[in-house]
Amino acid sequence: MTLDATSLQVVKASDARLKRTDRSRLASFGLHATLIIASFIAVFPVFWVLVTSFKPDARAVETTPKLVNESSLDNYSRILAGDKGGFLTWFGNSVLIALLTTIIAVFLAATTGYAVSRFRFPGKRGLMMSFLVVQMFPFAVLIVPLYNVLLTLGLQGNSFGLVLVYCTTAVPFCTYMLKGYFDTIPMDIDEAGRVDGLSPFGVFWRLVLPLARPGLAVTAFYAFLTAWGEVAFASAFLSAADESKTLAVGLQVFVQQNRTEWGHLAAASILVSIPAVIVFYLVQRFLVTGLASGAVKG
Amino acid sequence: MRRFLDRYWYAYAMVLPVVVVIAVLVLYPLAQGVYFTFTNINEANIANPVLDRPATFDVVGFKNYLNVLSGDQSYGAFWGTLVRTLIWTFSCVFFHYTIGLGLALLLNRQVRGRTLYRVLLILPWAVPGFISAFAWKYMFNAQYGIINQFLRSIGLPDPVWLGQSNWALVAVIIVNVWLGVPFQMVALLGGLQSIPGDLYEAAEVDGATPWQRFVHVTLPGLRSVSSTVILLGIIWTFNMFPVIYLIADKNPNTRILVTYAFERFFSGASRDYAVASTYGVLILSLLLVFASVYRRALRKQGEVW
Amino acid sequence: MAEVSYIKASRVFSGNPPVRAVDELSLDVADGEFLVLVGPSGSGKSTALRMLAGLEDVDEGAINIGGKDVTNVPPKGRDIAMVFQSYALYPHMTVAENMGFALKLRGVNKAEIKEKVAEAAKMLDLTKYLDRKPKALSGGQRQRVAMGRAIVREPSVFLMDEPLSNLDAKLRVETRANIAALQQRLGTTTIYVTHDQVEAMTMGHRVAVLKDGLLQQCDTPRALYDRPANAFVAGFIGSPAMNLKTVPLTSEGAKLDGIVVPLSRSALDAASSEQLAEVTFGIRPEALALVPSGDEGMEMTVELVEELGADALVHGAVKIGDSSERFVVRVDGRTPPSLGQNVKVVVRDATEIHLFHPESGARLEA
Repeated sequence: MTLDATSLQVVKASDARLKRTDRSRLASFGLHATLIIASFIAVFPVFWVLVTSFKPDARAVETTPKLVNESSLDNYSRILAGDKGGFLTWFGNSVLIALLTTIIAVFLAATTGYAVSRFRFPGKRGLMMSFLVVQMFPFAVLIVPLYNVLLTLGLQGNSFGLVLVYCTTAVPFCTYMLKGYFDTIPMDIDEAGRVDGLSPFGVFWRLVLPLARPGLAVTAFYAFLTAWGEVAFASAFLSAADESKTLAVGLQVFVQQNRTEWGHLAAASILVSIPAVIVFYLVQRFLVTGLASGAVKG
Repeated sequence: MRRFLDRYWYAYAMVLPVVVVIAVLVLYPLAQGVYFTFTNINEANIANPVLDRPATFDVVGFKNYLNVLSGDQSYGAFWGTLVRTLIWTFSCVFFHYTIGLGLALLLNRQVRGRTLYRVLLILPWAVPGFISAFAWKYMFNAQYGIINQFLRSIGLPDPVWLGQSNWALVAVIIVNVWLGVPFQMVALLGGLQSIPGDLYEAAEVDGATPWQRFVHVTLPGLRSVSSTVILLGIIWTFNMFPVIYLIADKNPNTRILVTYAFERFFSGASRDYAVASTYGVLILSLLLVFASVYRRALRKQGEVW
Repeated sequence: MAEVSYIKASRVFSGNPPVRAVDELSLDVADGEFLVLVGPSGSGKSTALRMLAGLEDVDEGAINIGGKDVTNVPPKGRDIAMVFQSYALYPHMTVAENMGFALKLRGVNKAEIKEKVAEAAKMLDLTKYLDRKPKALSGGQRQRVAMGRAIVREPSVFLMDEPLSNLDAKLRVETRANIAALQQRLGTTTIYVTHDQVEAMTMGHRVAVLKDGLLQQCDTPRALYDRPANAFVAGFIGSPAMNLKTVPLTSEGAKLDGIVVPLSRSALDAASSEQLAEVTFGIRPEALALVPSGDEGMEMTVELVEELGADALVHGAVKIGDSSERFVVRVDGRTPPSLGQNVKVVVRDATEIHLFHPESGARLEA
């Protein structure tokens, strides 16, 4: 880094050798200060919900909020006990739907991304363009026609129908991302596999997929989040019965009915966030490489 | 034809599932949605298979488009809403990109605790959107929100954030910036890591200052990532309704095109599917025009995707 | 083991105009032969190899392996093994898994795979590294793993696509000898692609020279060197390259600066039957010699002396007609001329003169 006046001052006279990678103390301070402030802003809302989740509802709305105020685990135990709706049932539904969406969307995006990355075939450009266009339409206003389609297919009110709908929102971006990742795997690997005796599908399954793990991880993360937090489709396409709701829908109802129960809402929010944060933690080390190659080659 | 299939069958076999799903669950409903824009369909006259009621809506031609484009207040004041949508979109994407780039540059250096910083900074992305909305709504509360508490404590005015004023728009922009920075940061960080180190060394040997290295090496090296993430960012932000809807509800000061489509769709007993779809088609057309202009501008500079 | 034949095989890339990357290639490779495909980049040599591997379509003509038409057979049905320029080792598999992968796909039982991998590893001095991933190997070791992967399969044909170009110079020379010896020992038909004519000359039983998708000549290294079929082959084979100049023709021979180089009767007849006033005159640097300045010869001003140890290469300008042409002469390394010196150059041996048609480049005389 550069040798400015401040950096020279901190170097002792007896040891005037400056390593290229050394940074002046001021620059270092500025760097860490900026990162700490940014991290603080990034984490604070979640932290604040966590703090609130331990407070009784009445303490959560005091005008001078404190970190700890009659805090306890009561909110959590009441929610988990089902006092505020079938929380655990909703949770189960959400996990099922999100996992199914993740598996199907990743699979669809992987096969498509691979075909688009490796083969030249008529219609390829059109397909890629349509993936971009699909993201431009606010699909929630198509709930009515979608409802009719699902009804015709016998999937209305069924979690599998909802999973398919989520896939249509997740797959286009996932395909782009995976195509970019597959592009970074040399074609030679495929060809070596072909010569070694694999079919095109064999190459995909036994060589390319194992090598694309970072890309797949990011795709899975994206697909999971798409399904995990979605409200509009879920409330339209799942039957109205309480036991088939997802968490997002259930909580939405909860919010509308209990506008003042901030403490309970916060506790429920934390519970909902935990699986997403776990998934995030599992894939975070892949995020940069996985997403980057997708975006670079977009 | 034989040869055609021989050569391409595995490629087609691999894209077929997606094509089928997209055709059935996207293109067909989309076509139906476009048809709706030429009718007066709503909750009262739509066919209802549960009640076994036939459809009684009429085709009305371009009336929906004329009503919407007239800018009439009762049809969402299209032009004013469009301006607000543009303000919303461009300010969000601007901050997403600049903050994301700034943080990516910092994280691309040798910093102690880099992994920890990275995890913390990406966290907003991992939290489900409706939870974040809830958290911010709570923090923005005029009486017991921590934000106003903080502003008061350092002697600044404490506005009613989510009331009937433009503060509400500022508030939702802040939330959306918070939500969107991690994606841009991660993508740009990847882009930075793909710039070969010897380019920087070459620039340094050529006598470039750090700022010149940033302008002449970093930015050009990020061009392709940037053009992709900015385009995606604009498309996503343009259609980002959950944040606004969940935080500000039906506040006219935060109304953008897509939230208005939602209002028409969900509000009241007479859900107006026709106008909602009309808004959807208009949004799609605007974005298509934008994307093709954007592409042409990039191509003119020699960048094609 | 098997013979290989290309029968008027072409690969045409669509475009405007279409590119004939390999144009009606006809080539027969005998069982157990080591054939090298050589040519500059873009000559279609790799494409020709990939057509044989089944990685590239054969748009016209056919390819046979072991007498069987494999034109439309996918790679896995061709009983071939290939070594890639990048080695294309599977990064997620250990060395042993990489080498045994093809056998595993064929359903060979584990014990047998293990035995064959161990055998090949021993041959290639890789036994210590069998449990490592490719990432943890040096370039030379990776190259050997790629070889091992091909050997383990015991295919009827080895295909090698510039397998040495990612190695440093010293290792390349060593490995060159190893590959040739290995091929000798295994006796497997081998097609080897390289852009390096030294590699081609030292390794191949026969060498096929390609340019712009067209086969120029296919012959033993000696024959290519001694009787190049055209000016391109003449210039491509041999290092430093042959001196190739267009010179006017007289009734006795070729006219260079100050001297007339006598040409054989047959060459002159061939030239006169085509009514040529000029020919492309080719002579290798080692067939030229420097003589004392008083003697008869071409006047040359020394511009560069490359000392190679045993030899030295003298580069200099010679006047032919109105233009100045560059010549290279190989001289004894102990007594090179100095820079700027004017020297006289003569043709040491008239039988080493090559004449080519000035336009078509084809060799004159039978």
